[in-house]
Amino acid sequence: MSAATAPVEGRSIPGTIGNFLRDNPIYVAIVGLVVVTSIVEPRFLTPSNFNNIILSAGVLIFAALGMTFVIMAGFLDLSIGGIISLVAVVTVTMIDQVGQGPAILIGLTVGLICGLINSGLILSSGALTQAESLFITFGMSLVYGAVALMYVQGATQFLTYSETDISIFNAINSGKIGPISVFTAMAIVATVILLIIERRTYMGRAVVLTGGNKTAARLAGVPISRTIVMIYAISGLLSAVGAVVLVSRVTLADPTMGTPYMTQAILAVVIGGTALTGGRGSVLWTVIGVFLLVLLNNCLNLLGVSSYVQFMVWGVILIIVIWLDTVKQARVRG
Amino acid sequence: MVEESGPQALLSIKDVSKEFPGVKALDRVSLEVSGGVVHGIVGENGAGKSTLMKILSGVYEKDSGEVTFEGRVIDKTSPVESMNMGLAIIYQELNLVNTMTVGENVFLGRFAEAGGRRGVHAKARKLLDSIGSKVSTHKMVSELSVSDKQMVEIAKALSFDSKLIIMDEPSSSLTNDELEKLVKIIHDLKAKGIAIIYISHKLDEIHGFCDIVTVLRDGHVIDTRKVSELSRNQMISMMVGRTIDNEFPARPESAGETILEIKNINTRKLKDVQLTLRKGEILGLVGLVGSGRTELVRALFGADKVSKKTVFIDGKLVEIKNPIDAIKLGLALVPEDRKHQGLLLGFPVEQNISLAVLKRLTTYGFINTSEEGSVSDRQIKALNIKTPSGRTLIRTLSGGNQQKAILGRWLEMKPRILILDEPTKGIDVGAKYEIYLLMKQIVEQGGSIILISSELPEVLHMSNRVHTISDGRVNGEFDPAVASADEIMERAFQFA
Repeated sequence: MSAATAPVEGRSIPGTIGNFLRDNPIYVAIVGLVVVTSIVEPRFLTPSNFNNIILSAGVLIFAALGMTFVIMAGFLDLSIGGIISLVAVVTVTMIDQVGQGPAILIGLTVGLICGLINSGLILSSGALTQAESLFITFGMSLVYGAVALMYVQGATQFLTYSETDISIFNAINSGKIGPISVFTAMAIVATVILLIIERRTYMGRAVVLTGGNKTAARLAGVPISRTIVMIYAISGLLSAVGAVVLVSRVTLADPTMGTPYMTQAILAVVIGGTALTGGRGSVLWTVIGVFLLVLLNNCLNLLGVSSYVQFMVWGVILIIVIWLDTVKQARVRG
Repeated sequence: MVEESGPQALLSIKDVSKEFPGVKALDRVSLEVSGGVVHGIVGENGAGKSTLMKILSGVYEKDSGEVTFEGRVIDKTSPVESMNMGLAIIYQELNLVNTMTVGENVFLGRFAEAGGRRGVHAKARKLLDSIGSKVSTHKMVSELSVSDKQMVEIAKALSFDSKLIIMDEPSSSLTNDELEKLVKIIHDLKAKGIAIIYISHKLDEIHGFCDIVTVLRDGHVIDTRKVSELSRNQMISMMVGRTIDNEFPARPESAGETILEIKNINTRKLKDVQLTLRKGEILGLVGLVGSGRTELVRALFGADKVSKKTVFIDGKLVEIKNPIDAIKLGLALVPEDRKHQGLLLGFPVEQNISLAVLKRLTTYGFINTSEEGSVSDRQIKALNIKTPSGRTLIRTLSGGNQQKAILGRWLEMKPRILILDEPTKGIDVGAKYEIYLLMKQIVEQGGSIILISSELPEVLHMSNRVHTISDGRVNGEFDPAVASADEIMERAFQFA
């Protein structure tokens, strides 16, 4: 601990792009890969491929935005895969019974309730560590996933088989507001709202303070319990929004379809530069992280890298990012 | 001046300088240490004491100058090499492996040369016996008290046949008894011809058992003198660079009616604690570590669970379930453990200061950040916090300035009852005095203070009334103007 470096006087919040890139070399690496791909693979620079990239980012971004607050507060939410699956099947099966609008509202409510259940369990466990939040939400992920499977008896539900109007889903999938697609607009709205919460509000400050030092923040009157409820509620709700976008896009709901998003959301947040230890991060970084991750997947696909190898690449990136962060922290602490 | 110790000096440091970006940590520092001498080094935080030690141990490299140990010029070294040369450093935070036994720690990484498992324990036993320590060599280090851990460190230093042992703030977590034990060992080591460099904030200790003292300030050696030639006040003025007539300001006048009445607080540790606090009063709480003094103020503040708590403020029964309730009622707590319970180390000074009044700076959920900036600037100025700006990360400030920032956090909310748990721990003399003045200012403006401190003189000089706590009970009340320190300590040591 004491060995590393000189005391740095007057170090303030990192602001310059140079510092930022030095602290986030993974950005440079992925952008490098994109440049290489665009040279060796002509299909990369086609409009349809860009469309692909935006579509893939469209689902992930909601889950990752919610995950950002959870991680910034020093916790984890592994349940979002289960929540996405559950919300997807509930929403689709409800359409014929209550109509598309109410079905979506029910879906979002289910997501919100799942988030509240998570926070309730974490608060009642009392000790409030990241590890506990990890195990509790992992357990709940299994529960939500199982409920989804039981609810539809494991069967895939097709949106297109609906006998009533599904125009909202169609609009989310292919509609446009001016030059931008509907779900892009949704993602922008969600990002802006969360960014305002993060930068300007008491709620947002409470999130980073909780992640920075829970004990000190609590002793100074920061409402830790309320913050925990809020971050999991947001995470559940945004996962539900992601589920609705996903359903619109693939026009079906499968009780296991949410599974890959948990890993990807955490990966996107961490690649973006938010510290897994909490106290430092931004939803804006996460947006960048989502695009980097999607670009990475896209490049690997175009270069013909098998999906097995892609899993390995994710794992390696996760480890590198965490390793770099540890090194950075050691440097700052001196 | 000290007589020239000539070529026989064990360690000689000549014109050593070290610069960090923006700071000249050491500026042509020279000093000589001879065998069999206890050499004290004092200086405020940031004076360069730690940098000098880290250069000696090989953690840092010096920019210029010369270090000679036993007549050999040492240019570059590493912590392991300096150990092998016979130069041992015992750091404040101690460097032991908690999950290994005492014996294994003494001979860490040298099991084979110590003769395997049996040899390790036998040899460690001998070394520990030689310093009068009875701790078992088979015990896990994690189970030891700080004092026993220090004994293990000293035994480890002796196992290297050290000629010079540097002790960095060794007394900061010791009780008086444990300190006496350490002093005895220091005398024994001295008799064996081993040189000791003793770094401390506590001038009593320098006066008590050091032979020679070097005062550092802002990276310069101010002077090296025989301790007997220097008075305490002279030493302080050399450290802070100005004359301090008094270590403590005059005791504030006590005043007013009862503001806080604790009818009872019961927890697993505390038994029917009762006490009262008057307006404009400083109430000192004296007790050993573990007596329940910290538990008492934490329970009052709603930080920990209680089994029973009846508290009146202004004669009205109040319910304090958590710190938020406490703050609403005008209570403020500066906790004992600055790093873990007080500071948000990775955050700017500004956000550390605004913390307790953040609700006030918020309208419709939005924080008024320009107001936040002016709150922080006001406190930085009022408390003379040395920081380049409010946006600087608080991690980079010295302990004294960090503590002042935490005080600023609470002063901004104008607390009616300010609880200070070890407010001057690890803080240099100058900053201490500023904190005393602040305390005085707070009570003069009608606030009240509960002061917990392990430094008895501090409690005695600052308080209007002193309660002793022992084994979870308040067992005595004293008027510090007339009661003697011995009387109070005796009561604090008395178990029911």
